[in-house]
Amino acid sequence: MAASALGWVLRAARQVLPSPCTKQVRSYYVDWRMLRDVKRRKLAYEYADERLRINAIRKNTILPKELQEVADKEIADLPRDSCPVRIRNRCVLTSRPRGVKRRWRLSRIVFRHFADHAQMSGIQRAMW
Amino acid sequence: STSSVLSTEKDESTTSKDSTTEVASKSQEGRAETPKQKLLDIIGNMKVEVSYRKKLQQLKTREVKKQATDKLGGPDSEGSMLQKTTEDAQRGKPLNPELVEAASAVASSLPFNKKQAESELLAQLRRHEEITDKQKKGGTINIRNVISEMSVKTQSPAQRGVRISNRISLELDEDGQRIKPGRLSPQSFDSRRYFSFFFLVYRSLKVGRRLNIFTKASTETENALKTVSSPTIWDLEFAKEIAAITAQPPRNGFEEMIQWTKEGILWEFPIDNEAGMEDDAEFHEHIFLEKHLKDFPKQGPIRHFMELVICGLSKNPYLSVKQKIEHIEWFQKYFEEKKELLQEI
Repeated sequence: MAASALGWVLRAARQVLPSPCTKQVRSYYVDWRMLRDVKRRKLAYEYADERLRINAIRKNTILPKELQEVADKEIADLPRDSCPVRIRNRCVLTSRPRGVKRRWRLSRIVFRHFADHAQMSGIQRAMW
Repeated sequence: STSSVLSTEKDESTTSKDSTTEVASKSQEGRAETPKQKLLDIIGNMKVEVSYRKKLQQLKTREVKKQATDKLGGPDSEGSMLQKTTEDAQRGKPLNPELVEAASAVASSLPFNKKQAESELLAQLRRHEEITDKQKKGGTINIRNVISEMSVKTQSPAQRGVRISNRISLELDEDGQRIKPGRLSPQSFDSRRYFSFFFLVYRSLKVGRRLNIFTKASTETENALKTVSSPTIWDLEFAKEIAAITAQPPRNGFEEMIQWTKEGILWEFPIDNEAGMEDDAEFHEHIFLEKHLKDFPKQGPIRHFMELVICGLSKNPYLSVKQKIEHIEWFQKYFEEKKELLQEI
């Protein structure tokens, strides 16, 4: 009786409080541009399905043109940050917009730093 | 001077108490020897700290103390005492002449009304005899039965849990290491003995026949109500505290990996390619989606368009059946909203 209620409460508490770790937790993004990029990614994820469907109507030769024009207007009405084109693959650690390797999501400088300290798995200095 | 008089009276009353207890105990020994000896043997075998004699003595001292306070109070209790003396006179059971002599001697030593004191002491003695007779017959708490039903001490799971919980202490030293409880610490030893006695008695109470002292109250409805009304804020706080205490930081890399797996950061090995995908639908539900096109017009460009959509969805292995149905329904809604526009065309 009381044990079951307590168990439910414990589960709820665990969800509310993620496990308290003693290491540093990143609570801030590197800079505001990174924050804006994060917002754009979230919105793009939300509106992805709608955009796909409206675009399917637009890029169509079967449906009448009037319908396609209406679809054009609709997609323009969606929030500007919802289009995936605005997302920039920045470096995860330094927020550098250029020189970012897609596989590791790191800029070339950070990548080189970690690789030299042998903290990148399977990366070796090239020599041939 | 009044205070000194009172203190002397109190001393006399205490001496009278001691004498009465001694006299009473001697008389008791003479009468209730054989059953008490049997009890003592049983107790000696069980090594339980229940002593019959001590209990009686305690009872006597309490009652005599009450009497002494009543006497010191004085005139208020006279009427009640007189009634008691008449009751005693009516009782047919004769007291031991030695006891009577002792009572008279004690009464003479007391400062107050001697006859009254004598009668009161005799009444006390009669009460004690009644109690012993009752206990002989087995009317009140029958310790013999309880002890006889006690069995050899075996480790019950609750006891074991208590011991384990005693060992695992959640306190931290200054260094951050846990305090290990000493095995032969005196506190734990006494608590263990105490707990063992408790669990013995508990088991014997469960095993023996019902005494029908208490009536079983219906607690089920209360429990049902309680589960609905709680949890309160205090319960939440308590739960948070427990979660904070139990969630210790990982001691090594393995525990860290376990934690990550629980959170979902790390995959479960060996890698399951279908982890997270719980598509219970059959293949025909994925491919034959024409049944969802019932509400669409059967002729015209829209039908053509939707058939293409279905063809594309049937070839899509990444979406679940639900997602595909949602896709089609979205199109349905969209075209219904644009019906007026379409009819103009």
